[in-house]
Amino acid sequence: MTDVQQSRIAAGAMTADTAFRVRMRRLFGVLQGMASNPATVIGLVIIALMLVMAIFAPWLLEPNSPDPYQMPRDWGAVRKPPGTPGHPLGTTNEGGDVLYGVIWGSRTSLQLSLMVVGSTMIVGTIVGSIAGLVGGWVDEVLMRLVDVFLSIPELIFALAIAAVLGPSFGNIILALAVVLWVKYARIMRAQVLQIKQHDFVDAARVIGDSKLNIYLRDILPNAVTPVTVQATLDMGNVVLIGATLSFIGLSEAGIAEWGVLVSEGQAGIASGRWWASTFPGLMIFLWALAFNLVGDGLRDALDPRTEGR
Amino acid sequence: MRAAVAPQADDLILSVREVKKHYPIREGALQRVVGHVRAVDGVSFDIRRGETVGLVGESGCGKTTLGRVIAALADPTDGGVHYSMDGEMRRIDRLEGKAAQTFRRNCQMVFQDSFASLNPRHLVIDLVGRPLKVYNEAASADLVERVVELLEQVGLGRQHLFRYPHQFSGGQRQRISIARALALNPEIIVLDEPTSALDVSVQAQILNLLNDLQKERNLAYLFVTHDLSVVRHMADRLVVMYLGKVAEAGETQAIFDSPHHPYTRELMAAKPDLEAEANVEIRGLEGTVPDPARPPQGCRFHTRCELATSACGWEIDDIVRWLEDAPGMFEHLVGVERTSEFAAELAFDNEEAAGLLSMAVRSEQVPEAMRAAMRRLNLDGTKVEIEFEDVGEVELTVRDDGRMAACVLTPEEVASWKNS
Repeated sequence: MTDVQQSRIAAGAMTADTAFRVRMRRLFGVLQGMASNPATVIGLVIIALMLVMAIFAPWLLEPNSPDPYQMPRDWGAVRKPPGTPGHPLGTTNEGGDVLYGVIWGSRTSLQLSLMVVGSTMIVGTIVGSIAGLVGGWVDEVLMRLVDVFLSIPELIFALAIAAVLGPSFGNIILALAVVLWVKYARIMRAQVLQIKQHDFVDAARVIGDSKLNIYLRDILPNAVTPVTVQATLDMGNVVLIGATLSFIGLSEAGIAEWGVLVSEGQAGIASGRWWASTFPGLMIFLWALAFNLVGDGLRDALDPRTEGR
Repeated sequence: MRAAVAPQADDLILSVREVKKHYPIREGALQRVVGHVRAVDGVSFDIRRGETVGLVGESGCGKTTLGRVIAALADPTDGGVHYSMDGEMRRIDRLEGKAAQTFRRNCQMVFQDSFASLNPRHLVIDLVGRPLKVYNEAASADLVERVVELLEQVGLGRQHLFRYPHQFSGGQRQRISIARALALNPEIIVLDEPTSALDVSVQAQILNLLNDLQKERNLAYLFVTHDLSVVRHMADRLVVMYLGKVAEAGETQAIFDSPHHPYTRELMAAKPDLEAEANVEIRGLEGTVPDPARPPQGCRFHTRCELATSACGWEIDDIVRWLEDAPGMFEHLVGVERTSEFAAELAFDNEEAAGLLSMAVRSEQVPEAMRAAMRRLNLDGTKVEIEFEDVGEVELTVRDDGRMAACVLTPEEVASWKNS
């Protein structure tokens, strides 16, 4: 191998490295933008704590066997107030440990929001992209379908689907996924329609790049910002709607899920047993709040008017 | 109509033949087509190796659309752009496979807005290296060297490889666009107002750069611009467009010395000439560009032309347009029943308004040429019957000096007006 070849290979390695560092610096800039907003930082801290709680749940509280997502029942200690030995946050009417529900409920919520947001984002992005790219009657048909979905209130629609499918946590996930993909489809279509008008798409066509490459390299990366923001906001909203459905009994009873716990505890509030509903309710509130704060912060940090100019 | 004699095939790159680009206007819930915007309405010219053709006209004349058709970004509605390949002229919208690729590589484009035409998420190395990657011309280490070479040719360098477009000035960004266009070593580059968004001093630098690159690489340019002063020193030949048609075409210097079309003359006068004496009154084109969905009859420029004669295609639309600015008449107009573009019966709701119109069109309130073109004028109660001379479209024709213009007047007649 000649010296020239060697130095060229070295140059190649160096470039890949430099390009990577420059791109990281840009990502870091977005994070920095978010960090400069105190509300966003509070949201990020709450989310971090929730994640730690979800990940380390088995070490924080011994998992119930055989199914750790079922509430352990201590029939010897029903309706105990917070501070009871062994039950720091008290117990429910059926002897369920509220602390267990709070901690393992974070795993349930994470599962719910990740599955719903993940699937709806992918489906919505694909449908919206096809509608925006293909246009014509394909666009027309897809968007009228989206209109139908959007004309029914989210909660009522999800409730109807979950009710038809029967009460189970899995069905709540399914119901929410069916209801929520349309938002992403609409956002994505609008983005694609707008971005495909940009000169840089024409510039790529003049070079002769393939349609797939133009979509993947020019359209998609420039379209994902609002989708990402919506996904972050939905991470919180999904738990809120899911808890509502659980609350009205569309989830199976007895699982460690915040909405189910609020529902179980609400009967006791009038008799002064506030704890069984309040702690899981607080968790739902914090979860939804945190993701909304971060979503708003992300929107500001990614704002095209400030980003990259 | 065919433009001029077919040039020799060996130095010809592109031949634009009767290209039309019409956009449908849709209306209502059923999206019925109610008309067409005739953005480009039958344009022909050639581009030869190493030359610069300036495509000039006001905004809305169709020059950018035509540029896009030539760069194969849009398909023509009618006619075609022919590309010289292996000694044969082939229509670019019918090329397939390898032939399409050959054309694609050889015809590049630089856009007006350098910010919009560079993907904001790509680094310079991605932007300029992309054409090379698409055709597998260079891989990692080689790619860097090739991109650096290209950057150096446009006055940038290695230090710019890993920057985003927003980190550059407008002039530098346009240099990046030019480097990208050069990457595949094309025969021709369509320059769509490449300097319009730049400061005058930067404009000059970019124009010089384009000049140097052309000499080095024997490039052909199609320089699309509204600014005649920019192409004056760049273009070998000019094609002046008005409302989708060619008004005048020929050697740049000859056109500047004596424009054969009043529109060209007005366009030149609309720009302050720095070389001329100071205090020269800057004249501009008066009036607005007519609706390209309903272009005027005869000569499309007759509605704004100071030299218009009775043979220029006066029509009912001219009367209606004039009425729109005529208080005391327009609000009483209740109907226009056309028998053709040139003849109609205008109905008013009272006899007075009808009488006013028939008097007005006989008086100096309307252009003399319009009056002269009127074959019939009949006042019948509340109705006014008007008929103009039926005039066909004014075609682009070869003049005595070999240049082409679409005007009913002779070059001498246009020139004499210029001097008066």
